[in-house]
Amino acid sequence: MSSYIVRRLLLIPITLFIITIIVFIFMRAVPGDAGQVKCGAAGSFDETCFEQVRKELGLDKSLFQQYTLWLGDIILRGDFGFSPISREHINSEIGPRVWNTGQVGLLSIVFTLLIGIPVGAISAIRSGRPIDYGLRFVAVLGLSVPNFWLATLIIIFPAVWWGTRVAPDWVGWEDPLTHLQIIAVPAFLLSLAGGATLARIVRSSMLEVLRSDFVRTSRAKGLREAAVVGRHVFRPSMIALFTIVGLQFSLVLGGSVIMESIFNIPGMGLWVISAVAGRDFIVIQGVVVFFAAWFLVITLLVDVMYAWVDPRIRY
Amino acid sequence: MTTAEQAPELIEFQSERSFPVRAAGAVFHFVRRQPLGTFGAIVIVVLIAASVLAPVLNTQDPGTSIRSAPTLGAPSGDHWFGTDRSKRDVWSRVLYGGRPTLLIGFGAVALTMAVGITFALAAGFFGGLVDILISRLIEIIIAVPAILWLLMFTTAIDRSVQTLIFAVAFTFTPITIRFFRGNVLQESSIAYVEAARVIGASGGRIMFRHILPNVAPLVIVAASITIPAAMLSEAGLTFLGLGLEPGTASWAQDLGPNNRSYFRVAWWLLVFPGAALALAVLAFNFFGDSMRDVLDPRLRGSGLI
Repeated sequence: MSSYIVRRLLLIPITLFIITIIVFIFMRAVPGDAGQVKCGAAGSFDETCFEQVRKELGLDKSLFQQYTLWLGDIILRGDFGFSPISREHINSEIGPRVWNTGQVGLLSIVFTLLIGIPVGAISAIRSGRPIDYGLRFVAVLGLSVPNFWLATLIIIFPAVWWGTRVAPDWVGWEDPLTHLQIIAVPAFLLSLAGGATLARIVRSSMLEVLRSDFVRTSRAKGLREAAVVGRHVFRPSMIALFTIVGLQFSLVLGGSVIMESIFNIPGMGLWVISAVAGRDFIVIQGVVVFFAAWFLVITLLVDVMYAWVDPRIRY
Repeated sequence: MTTAEQAPELIEFQSERSFPVRAAGAVFHFVRRQPLGTFGAIVIVVLIAASVLAPVLNTQDPGTSIRSAPTLGAPSGDHWFGTDRSKRDVWSRVLYGGRPTLLIGFGAVALTMAVGITFALAAGFFGGLVDILISRLIEIIIAVPAILWLLMFTTAIDRSVQTLIFAVAFTFTPITIRFFRGNVLQESSIAYVEAARVIGASGGRIMFRHILPNVAPLVIVAASITIPAAMLSEAGLTFLGLGLEPGTASWAQDLGPNNRSYFRVAWWLLVFPGAALALAVLAFNFFGDSMRDVLDPRLRGSGLI
């Protein structure tokens, strides 16, 4: 087990290293750079400004030099670089942004569990009855309806009918109620797909356990149905939770890109979108590397927890 | 002589039913057992037909303004789904708008299936180092959220349909490889593979002549589950204004950059393209779940019905 963890830990930097190379190549293949974005379009192009910005950002150096400087700063000083557009260091901006994305993400994981577990459990216990079909239908709907469409509907219709602002401007924790309202809606929308998937997994794993011999035994010895389900069926089928929660942790990152730009949340996702528009390579590179590191650490934790919860799993 | 003449007749009589009859039987069985899957299949056929036959279904060119039409006109007899701010007919845009989304869904999934199954067979066939390299590659791709890969592809290359097909296929290839790799390994442990090995079949022959035909039906399962996800991932990117070229008639384009500022005054701009996209994804999900139930008994019951 511990040798497995060590091996995985050693692999993380290698994977990240390859990702840095790939993302760097991608970003340098983009036509146009921050110099051109900052110093005007073809008509009113300012040559000296362009040269100066390129020099400041090190864009005049060779690609290999640029890459090694960037990577060297990250490894040696933990410095992700300087954004020419916002004129700020990535490091000073990354903290609050991760926190904003993280709040929405954590809340969406809570919603995922609140939706997925009860829906899946009821569906399994009442399997084959109308309520089971109804819930499974809702689950497929949750997987199918595009969340960005739902988000737009939720913003537009209350505004038209009652003049309500579902997505007020970002305020932070100074105004806790408004803040909770702002993060609750995108968190709920982000949790739909995960909740639906979790409901299906909980349902099928509970059904599997419900059919097993030890459940028949506990029923045969006269245990009440509630005790059978609560004590013997529910617990073993909860292993699925770990997979889905881990998955949700990484889904939240991708989903945050769309949700943050709809709800105007100053998190990682909105950052990367505005960076694409401004050809702000250094931000995109930083966000990609950060997300990848996040993903790799979370999946390692999930796998370790998995083995810890289920003693049958050996690595 | 008589026996020789009678023999073929006899064989034909004893042989299984012909292919069309068997196929019809299978379809009939599917329709009876999988009502929602059948519904999904019908909707898919209707949507494909509608986007292919768009020119003859009471549509105008989705890109041109109609001079006689009102700006942001509500749904009416002339314009069933209303008109947008440039006097374009929304009904036409919804029908034509399915084309890029469906094309990217099908194209990306076809590509990802072909690449995924090849890599899975390679991992199973060569094992060892190749298998390890492939699983490293998978980890590299899934470590970065799919939408960021798509963003990088569209900003670095271009925003054409081909690039999007390639980019979406790229992000779905890892899970496809994993899915088929598991199945290839499982097949490899079954007795017929050992039998083939015993009679001296080569590794390549076992992979392509014995294992591939046995995992091939699962392509339908994997593809019908992946298509809706692929369509959603393209739609999300286009919605942000970073996918398909601006101005393209596509569902996500009309839900995002094209009309964003007019939804408050013209609900039809938001409702119809969105409902079309949701219906398409829903239909594929129903169909995919049913195919999985029919073709992959190990996963039976994990979906709907």
